[in-house]
Amino acid sequence: MFKNYFKVAWRNLVKNKGYSIINIGGLALGMAVTLIIGLWMYDELTRDSYYANKDKIAQVYQSQTFNGRTGTNPAIPLPLEPALRDGYADNFEHLMMASWTQDSYIKYKDNSISRSGNYMQPMASELLNLDILKGEKNGLREINSIMLSASTANALFGKEDPIGKVVKIGNEYDLNVTAVYKDIPYNNSFNDTNYIIPWDNYVANREWIKNSLDNWGNNSFQLFVQLTENADMETVSETIRNVKKDLNEDTAEFNPQLFLLPMEDWYLRSNFENGKQVGGRIKYVWLFGIIGAFVLLLACINFMNLSTARSEKRAKEVGIRKSIGSQKGQLIYQFLSESFLVVLFAYALAIGIVLLSLNGFNELARKEIEFPWGNGSFWLISIIFIIFTALLAGSYPALYLSSFKPVDVLKGTFKSGKYAGLPRKILVVLQFTVSVAFIIGTVIVMQQINHAKNRPIGYDREGLIQIPTWSADFEDKTDLMREQFLASGAAIAMTTSSSPTTQIWSNRSGFTWEGKPEGFQEDFAWTEVSPEYANTLNLKIVQGRDFNKDIASDSLGILINETAVKYMGVENPVGMVIRDTDEEDPGPSRKIIGVVEDMIAQSPYEAVKQAWYVYDRNNNFSFYTLRLNPRQSANQSIAVVERVFKDNFPAIPFQYDFVDDKYAEKFAAEQRIGTLSGIFTALAILISCLGLFGLTSFVAEQRTKEIGVRKVLGASVFNVWNMLSKDFLKLVVISCFIAVPIAYYVMNGWLQEYPYRVILKWWIFALAMLGAMGVTVLTVSFQAIRAAKQNPIKSLRTE
Amino acid sequence: MITIKDLKKSFRTEEVETLAINGVNLHVEEGEFVAIMGPSGCGKSTLLNIIGMLDNPTEGSYNFANHEVAGLKESQRTQLRKGNLGFVFQSFNLIDELTVYENVELPLIYLKMGKSERKQKVMQVLERMKIAHREKHFPQQLSGGQQQRVAISRAVVTNPKLILADEPTGNLDSKNGIEVMNLLTELNQEGTTIVMVTHSDRDSHYAHRIINLFDGQIVTESKNREIGAMV
Repeated sequence: MFKNYFKVAWRNLVKNKGYSIINIGGLALGMAVTLIIGLWMYDELTRDSYYANKDKIAQVYQSQTFNGRTGTNPAIPLPLEPALRDGYADNFEHLMMASWTQDSYIKYKDNSISRSGNYMQPMASELLNLDILKGEKNGLREINSIMLSASTANALFGKEDPIGKVVKIGNEYDLNVTAVYKDIPYNNSFNDTNYIIPWDNYVANREWIKNSLDNWGNNSFQLFVQLTENADMETVSETIRNVKKDLNEDTAEFNPQLFLLPMEDWYLRSNFENGKQVGGRIKYVWLFGIIGAFVLLLACINFMNLSTARSEKRAKEVGIRKSIGSQKGQLIYQFLSESFLVVLFAYALAIGIVLLSLNGFNELARKEIEFPWGNGSFWLISIIFIIFTALLAGSYPALYLSSFKPVDVLKGTFKSGKYAGLPRKILVVLQFTVSVAFIIGTVIVMQQINHAKNRPIGYDREGLIQIPTWSADFEDKTDLMREQFLASGAAIAMTTSSSPTTQIWSNRSGFTWEGKPEGFQEDFAWTEVSPEYANTLNLKIVQGRDFNKDIASDSLGILINETAVKYMGVENPVGMVIRDTDEEDPGPSRKIIGVVEDMIAQSPYEAVKQAWYVYDRNNNFSFYTLRLNPRQSANQSIAVVERVFKDNFPAIPFQYDFVDDKYAEKFAAEQRIGTLSGIFTALAILISCLGLFGLTSFVAEQRTKEIGVRKVLGASVFNVWNMLSKDFLKLVVISCFIAVPIAYYVMNGWLQEYPYRVILKWWIFALAMLGAMGVTVLTVSFQAIRAAKQNPIKSLRTE
Repeated sequence: MITIKDLKKSFRTEEVETLAINGVNLHVEEGEFVAIMGPSGCGKSTLLNIIGMLDNPTEGSYNFANHEVAGLKESQRTQLRKGNLGFVFQSFNLIDELTVYENVELPLIYLKMGKSERKQKVMQVLERMKIAHREKHFPQQLSGGQQQRVAISRAVVTNPKLILADEPTGNLDSKNGIEVMNLLTELNQEGTTIVMVTHSDRDSHYAHRIINLFDGQIVTESKNREIGAMV
């Protein structure tokens, strides 16, 4: 029986080639989009699957409230670790302090490389599930040891055995290589941990950390935990909630709330708003999931529409089959088998499309997705997907076609009823509603990105480069380096800073000034800079003056930004003295000498934070920032800068970034989403138009006789074109009016997440509507004009 | 075999109700060959469709081989039709996508007959209809007469008790028409009951009995003395 069904289905496909190409091609395109989105979602949702104890691993997070606003982040104070170890040990298999992941120079003999890694407590091997390839599992026992990832070891040692060799980190400390571990695979947390140095080494070599051992106010560290087998994540999280508040009075006023963020939430649900977890990347996973489902739906609608539009051609077959004994159920099976066959072909084609586009997609989405040939569950899901799509696309045509009355069809009196085309019209409206909503959504995403890109940034990033200076070698050499860079002609200015220009690495509180309101809980972005900072960046001084090296008192000076002036609530900040409120170990008092224009250092979508630029007295810098000579090419200048750098620091690899590129990275996530949704929108429209094209050709074919008669009676090509196009255009106009409010609602909601956002303008919607109508007219016209141009005698004769 | 009493069939459109069959009483014995005649629109085809269980009457009763058919659901009618009835249409109504062999095989598939048995039966009937050499051709590759022979093959392949023919020679030239009528006569002589709608006086004389319909009612009924007198 099924053989017979497939035979008929196959011959139908071969006979109606144009129809088959539109049907299979459209469906394949839709399935390819869904498939690629599915692979992407799978990749997102299975992050961290490398960790065997994924459900038991968590990071300690802290919420604190300043001036009524609660901020949440994973930075915790040092005394928390012994507090949890002493008081709550039963709950934890492991507690592990860790530094932030940082780039360091690692040197072996003359070979120096820069890699990212962490300082961690010895249980890192266990907690991170490290696969030790060489050396000892317990490789962090000794304070001067280092464990390296296989790729790092390979880059440093080549074929030499690394175990027992001595490397220099940051050109400062000698460390013994005690173990080599397999690189933590892509798509897993700690994937960028290429070296691990004992935590004790971190503490022993840094004064400020030693001073923080019992300081509950310095939230500069990370704490990871692995729960015991029986401990429950939520219960433990609740248990430790008030540990800090209970143990430390000084910080209690900020109401510190501790909790555990499970590993499964790190990547997808790590956004917090006013202390509440509000998702994160997961929203994009669902967004793309919805897009994938809609694109598939659009493709299925094409199948439904084209199948039912052809119904009059298939009606005779239904009548005959029924008259010689076919039950309705058997006919339903038959048509479902046909849709199954079409879907099967489409799926094979979709896999081809995915294979061809996977590299490009990976590049765009910054992924390393591979086609899961060997994955059994993928094929199982594929089968379910094929059956589901076949049912979705085939059920309506199957029910519709199988319900024909044989007597009508065989008598030749069969005509689709007055309302037979209605479901088809509804489906077209649905298709274009989705497409128009996609167009509007994409345009708004793009607009928002451009809006933020065009925002005044506050400084001139053209020709600015930054060079990391993460080694003690750089100390006290700043003036010498500046002299040499400027003398070389490659740079016209140079400054140092403790944070990169495009980020804020430190926030501080604990200050007072004249007129500070009672109970005001201050919080400032804190960057230590050399006196040339404003000048190098072309940062405009709006009040007071810039730092002056020749004025000795400027070494205790501060530049503040305009937002800080408003934030502090002062009218004439210049000359104001800022005092440290730490009673035990107060820092020096400082004086505000000038106000600079706001510069964007964090998210370009958010308001600029109140910031202080403090004169760096203690070599606390992490970057050189150079303004290249505009009179020569960047390449030329950089070559010279590199030579000067190498002359002075031969053992340190020369690294640099254009500030412009670093700034552009802030748009990367949105840009990716914009580009991807642009591509998916284009495909959605293409699929919808493909369907419309097919539908028009059937309508033109059905109305051949009518067109012939009309032409004989004097209708022009325009009249006929108008008659055929009007019906479809009407449907698209209806779609627009449904899509616009939906798109407005959704996109307005999306924009609310960005404090600095574009204002939705009516013309975006009008443009999207016009675009959709234009595309419709083009699609329909091709067939309509062809039908209208036919010689009427020919069309009448064929009747 | 067929007993029809006070049968009525009306069609309703938005404005008017048309009575296509208006109180027909008819009895057909097993092995009979009956021709139904009448002008266009008199209800011939409607009556044939009801007899063929493709349509339900509005009123009255229709008894087929001791089964009351009036009021049965479509699925029940299909069940009763399967294997009992064969159809021959004026426009042949072959499935274009199936070959000659596959078209004839189709009713047997619906009867869930095994493959080898199907093959045997199909070849038997194709040979008998002298069309076996065309078994792999598609309908469009055949002449009208050949197509109708395939249609008759398909109608008889299940050995039905009753064959319903709706103007079987309407689309054929006289030579092919005569051939088809001879085939039907042969089948009738072997015991198959035949009810045929026709416009052709010549074809009607192959039947044992001619029923004349006018405005949905039987107006005259006559018996042919000499079967095949016109051949």
